Amino acid sequence: MQHQLLAQPAMSIAKLTMQAGESVTCEVGAMIAMTSGFTVETTSRNKGGKGGLAKGLKRMFAGENFFLNHFTATGPNQTLMIGPGLLGDIMHYPLAGGTLIVQGSSWLASAVGIEIDATWQGLGKALFSGEGMFWVKCSGQGDLFLNSFGSIYPVEVNGEYIVDTGHIVAFEDTLQFRIGKAGKSLIGSILGGEGLVCKFSGQGKLYCQSHNPPSFGKLLGPKLKAR
Amino acid sequence: MIEIACPHCQKHYRLEDRYAGKRAKCAGCGLIMSINAPQSAPLSVPSAPVSPAVPTSRTAPVSMPRPAAASIPVAELVPPASVATRPPVPRQPPAMPTSHGTTGHADATAETLRGTTSHLQYEISQRPDFSIVKILMPQGAKVFAEPSAMVSMTPSMHLEAGFKGGLGKTFGRLLGGESLIINTFTAQDGPGEVMFAGGAAGDVAYHRLNGNTLYLQRGAYMLNSEDVEVSGKWQGAKGFFSGEGLVLLKATGTGDIFFNSYGAIIPIDVTEGFMVDTGYIVAFEESLQYRVTVLPGLRTAGKIKSFFFGGEGLVCQFAGSGRVWIQTRQVKSFLSWVNGFRPTKSN
Repeated sequence: MQHQLLAQPAMSIAKLTMQAGESVTCEVGAMIAMTSGFTVETTSRNKGGKGGLAKGLKRMFAGENFFLNHFTATGPNQTLMIGPGLLGDIMHYPLAGGTLIVQGSSWLASAVGIEIDATWQGLGKALFSGEGMFWVKCSGQGDLFLNSFGSIYPVEVNGEYIVDTGHIVAFEDTLQFRIGKAGKSLIGSILGGEGLVCKFSGQGKLYCQSHNPPSFGKLLGPKLKAR
Repeated sequence: MIEIACPHCQKHYRLEDRYAGKRAKCAGCGLIMSINAPQSAPLSVPSAPVSPAVPTSRTAPVSMPRPAAASIPVAELVPPASVATRPPVPRQPPAMPTSHGTTGHADATAETLRGTTSHLQYEISQRPDFSIVKILMPQGAKVFAEPSAMVSMTPSMHLEAGFKGGLGKTFGRLLGGESLIINTFTAQDGPGEVMFAGGAAGDVAYHRLNGNTLYLQRGAYMLNSEDVEVSGKWQGAKGFFSGEGLVLLKATGTGDIFFNSYGAIIPIDVTEGFMVDTGYIVAFEESLQYRVTVLPGLRTAGKIKSFFFGGEGLVCQFAGSGRVWIQTRQVKSFLSWVNGFRPTKSN
């Protein structure tokens, strides 16, 4: 599978070129256009894998869809174009045996060799991290595509690093994080508009997004007519 | 010559001396900077404070190329804005390597599109997020545009609003999601320049008609040159299911047409079958046949499941050969997301 990212960072899409027999699993609704040599299968499990109902339900809690779409090329050089619904960037992460923990709604697509599963990160993180209750755990080998709101920047963490809640896209599982105060005192942190933050520790790569959807939503919402 | 670099994005410009002391807007990042006289003082780079407590470093992204937007600082320079004196074009930035190098094609979505036709000269810059079209036309030439698309123009241009093409065509346009009124811009007092942009952040695409026909999605029409007719075309049941409205806009003739969309617009040359989610079609050539269908599943049961749960709904299947233009984002998705943030009525 070859890929190309187009129209970055605001209007990004991923163009995948696949050979006969190659498959990719995509988020429901991500397909924009494709050549006619594909078959599409909608299931609640990983391609050829186990899972089914329970995994589908966990994905729903993770902010993803219960179902997944599997696209399999039936001819040579088939093209599939996928993209997220909101403005923002797409990143490619070549997974090589490790594990990447992805924020609920950031998972876009992954190669067949990648197992995707929703993971619980504990009650504190579920309530205060500004992300979903569950995270999507991607492990295995192959191409992984993630999307963000705003642009994505990588941070090489070696020691500690602090990210505001709602700005995490993904991180390698060699990193851990806990919820903490931004400043010394809790009141000061809240008055400073930062409130709680995610404090990372360990060694590995962390991907952050420049904007977070709730901030934009809260800006627009009050200006709109009530439902 | 003055050589300056944008202090924010480091984009390079070469300008004539007469711009010294004036201000200009960077075409790359939009920063307003002042143009210093030729004796440029060396830039002092503030040294980054050392913070050993945070031993982290930001490295280059894995697969995130930022295509250098080759664009026109020309139109952005604040004081001069006339057709006769076109300031020098800056040095073209070097071609950037593409994402990851897995495929060798440059990302064309950010490229400035330029051309000269028998009707006019055009330049589409600031693509794909904030695309703007500049039209240069000789005295006496006309362009026709949807209301409110005009951004700025030289005083030589004369604007007239009105119905165009008789009752049938006007009504057809209305059904095609466009306005009843079409604005006519005439370069009356000498050559003229007009800038046009769409209502939403997004892209503009250009197509030259040579006696053939182009179909446009509801609302995509922006402007056309002389010798092009724009009317509505009833799609029947196909239109009903396509999610794009019952009437498509139809452009015919020998001339230029510009259309716009939310998101980036990507042209695709179809040769052997192509499918597009119905909500992402911007335009397509008449030489393509299309039918509305569901995604190709393995079995009938699979197809039904994909239709209801696969989130893709219906797709347009194109056959034949010709070009189709797709958009990378839909206004609909944004609206349904923002709807969730609306306050609820308390009774």
